[in-house]
Amino acid sequence: MWNKALTVAVWSAAGVFAQDSAISRDAVKINLPGNAPLTIRGVTMGDSRAIARGAALSLDLHMSLTLENTSGNRIHGVALRVVAQEVVLGGKGSVTYPSLNIGPGENLPVRIEMQLMRPSQVSNGPLVQVDLDGVLFQDLTFVGPDRLNSRRTLTACEMEARRDRDHFKRVLAQSGRQGLQAEMLDGMVRQSQSAQLAVTVKRSGRAVSGGAQQEHTTEFAFLKFPDSPIEPIKGQAQISGNEARWPSIEVVNRSGRPVKYVEMGWIVSDPSGHQYMAGSLPSADSDVVLPPSKTGHLLQETTLSFSVKGQPVNVQRMMGFVSQVEFADGKVWVPNRQNLDNTVLLKVLPPSAEEQRLADIYRKHGIDALVGELNRF
Amino acid sequence: MRHPDETVLALHSSGDLSWFAAWRTERHVAQCERCRDEVASFREMRANLPDFAELPDVSWNRIAAEMRANIRLGLAAGECVSDGELPEPSPLFNKARAVVAFAGLFTLVVTGLVLERPTPSTVSASSEPMVQAVSHGIQRRAGDQGFGLMHAGVRDVDVIKTVSAQGTMGARYMDPQTGLVTMTKVYVE
Repeated sequence: MWNKALTVAVWSAAGVFAQDSAISRDAVKINLPGNAPLTIRGVTMGDSRAIARGAALSLDLHMSLTLENTSGNRIHGVALRVVAQEVVLGGKGSVTYPSLNIGPGENLPVRIEMQLMRPSQVSNGPLVQVDLDGVLFQDLTFVGPDRLNSRRTLTACEMEARRDRDHFKRVLAQSGRQGLQAEMLDGMVRQSQSAQLAVTVKRSGRAVSGGAQQEHTTEFAFLKFPDSPIEPIKGQAQISGNEARWPSIEVVNRSGRPVKYVEMGWIVSDPSGHQYMAGSLPSADSDVVLPPSKTGHLLQETTLSFSVKGQPVNVQRMMGFVSQVEFADGKVWVPNRQNLDNTVLLKVLPPSAEEQRLADIYRKHGIDALVGELNRF
Repeated sequence: MRHPDETVLALHSSGDLSWFAAWRTERHVAQCERCRDEVASFREMRANLPDFAELPDVSWNRIAAEMRANIRLGLAAGECVSDGELPEPSPLFNKARAVVAFAGLFTLVVTGLVLERPTPSTVSASSEPMVQAVSHGIQRRAGDQGFGLMHAGVRDVDVIKTVSAQGTMGARYMDPQTGLVTMTKVYVE
């Protein structure tokens, strides 16, 4: 009898501290601007749950949206901004769909999987807010508030998509289906052999607690592309073991047009010579436009720590290359396939979003489906 | 009739009982022939004990000399293995013992560190915001608060993670439900 009473008491106490409830549609606010070329056709919350654990609230959101293209143009990219109690927590993210080809009247399925841990006493307003940040059309025109620089992101993805589709069409024309098949397989093998770094990013300070290694300055080496509008001159970062702090690169504008954004790819080598794609070093949003022939600095006051499979990757050498440039008029430059046909880059650079999509079509549906997809564009 | 036990009779024979016990036993022995015979046999045995004490052909002086020689040999051997005087009796916790204990502990810790090769934690316990990849997602953490965009149902090897030194982390994958390339990004600020 006492055992039964104790069991009931324990379960009652557990119920008090871990209350599980479904998240209703009202908990999510979806904002589409008045001029948005998309309309909401459906929202489902799936098995979205909120679990209260003491003073904390754990949210597990599984939301599906159906958006219809109500414009007269083909949509090639959509970016959504996802915010959870922005003022209180600063939880901000984005869900972006590049490489789209959504015709007028066609639907875009959107899935948002989000986990949130927050104090339970914060209850003002919706739990989650989803805003449309922008839509990119086939003709590279853009609509949306662009609070997350989605125009640049989607345009760069579209430029890479066109570049890679042209490349694979060229391979198909020159080497036939077998050649295209071999090209796809090569890319998939390269991807399977490249080890991805696990990276932790902090805005400042040291990412690793208790790091006892001596910090020293390490210079960047550069891979230079002949047609790049931006040329890197010199750069450095503070290295301590598997941490890199405050990366900084000086660049010069070699083009005849003003540039408003530069992004450098960042490769690190460990003491055994193994190379990894570490990330990218962008210019700060507040940077002024870089006129032709002028120099500027890419500088971020962040700390990155690198590891692979739980083991720290000590940084021995660093290499940089220009991966993206946005001109003042909104046009975007990305490296061409010849630039990327480099021994180092082939090993470490991940495929573009479009190559990832085409490889998925080939893997699931075969070479005929891939050829059919390339011919749609 | 209740008879005294053998111990009482033996003590009575040697005159070692108390006055009252001796008087009571004497009264019984006077009336009981069996106990009287028992007491008589104890007295006879006591009378013969000095004869058993004589041990013939034992040289006590020789045994004592051998024992002294063995003790000297032991002391000499102890001096050979120690490089000084014999330690004086010491308390349980003295400096030497503490040094030995710390040395042992230090060796144990260093050996453990070398064998285990602990990796620096990539997750700081501080409340400073950071972004990192977690199982099936990317997450911003600040203390005990978290915000994550997940990619459930996608194998980790099929996810391309991107990092920007500006303070963002992204994941790119083929969503098995929508069939679309999906890019999620989480901002540290």
